[in-house]
Amino acid sequence: MKPDSMDAVFRALASETRRRILDIVKDQPGRNVNGVCTFFDMSRIAVMKHLRILEAADLIVSEKKGRSRRLYFNAVPLQMIYDRWTTEYSVFWAERLTDIKYRLESRRAKKTRKKK
Amino acid sequence: MNDNKAVFKIHINGSVEDVWREITKTDEPQQCFFNSVLDTEGLKPGAQIRMRTVSGRYTAVVGEVVEFDPPHRYAHTMRFTQYDDPPCTVTYELIEKDTGVEFVITLDGLQPGTKSAKSMIRGASFIMNTLKSLVEKGKAPLSSRVVFALGGVLEGLSPKSMSSENWPLSRQV
Repeated sequence: MKPDSMDAVFRALASETRRRILDIVKDQPGRNVNGVCTFFDMSRIAVMKHLRILEAADLIVSEKKGRSRRLYFNAVPLQMIYDRWTTEYSVFWAERLTDIKYRLESRRAKKTRKKK
Repeated sequence: MNDNKAVFKIHINGSVEDVWREITKTDEPQQCFFNSVLDTEGLKPGAQIRMRTVSGRYTAVVGEVVEFDPPHRYAHTMRFTQYDDPPCTVTYELIEKDTGVEFVITLDGLQPGTKSAKSMIRGASFIMNTLKSLVEKGKAPLSSRVVFALGGVLEGLSPKSMSSENWPLSRQV
C-alpha cells in the first residue's frame, strides 16, 4: 500500500459519521445511497460527500444497478494496515486482551441494564 | 436489500497480464489460491474446473466457468467439497489504471452464516494479499508460505469427501 493511499484510508476513517456509514454498509451489503441517508439527519449531498471520501480510500466499492448505486464495504485496506503492524505473536496477545475487554464490558452493560 | 454479495478490491502495481496469469495458469500451482492446482479441460464458459492439491490426491473446490474474457474478466461457480453448502459465484475483474491494475473479487450468492461463506470471506483477503505480493515482489508473503507448508503436512488428514476420485472433470457440478 503506497503512503498516499494509506493516508486516504486514515483520513476517511477520521470521522465518526464515515465510520458509521461503514457500519451501516457492512451490516447490509448492497444498500443504496438512499438507504444510508435514512440513518442521518443531514442532506443527501452531505452523505454523498462522505461516500466519495470513503470510495476514494477504497473502503466502499459501489456498483451501478439500473438507476441506483449499490454500496459494498471493502475490508482490504484495513487488512493491509493490520498486516503492516501485527505479527503472529502480537496478534495472539492483542486478541486475548481485546477479548477480555469486550467480555467484561458487555457483562457490565448487561448488569447496568438490569439495575434500571 | 441484502443481496448476499461481498466485494473485495485491491490495487496492484503490475501488469494486467501478470495478474491474469496468476489466476488462470494451469502449468504450476496457483499460490494465490492456497497453492492449488487448477485442473480443467480448457477455460471457457461451461467448462468444469477443479482446485486440487499439488499431489492431485485431494480436491478442495469444484465449479464451472461462467464467463471467460481474457485478460479482464473471469467468473466461475464454486463449491467446497468438504461442506454441504450450495455453490456461489466468484467474479474476478482486472481494470487497467495508470499506476497498475485494480483487481476486484465479487462473491455472489453466499449463504450468510455457512461455513462456505466464512471460508470465502477469509479466503478473499488471503488471495488479494498473496496476489499483490506475487505480482509486485515475485514471491508470496511469508505468512502465505507458512500456510502452504502446513497444507502439505496436513493434506493426509483431508476427509474422504475431498478425494479426487470423487471429483473427475467429467462429473458436472
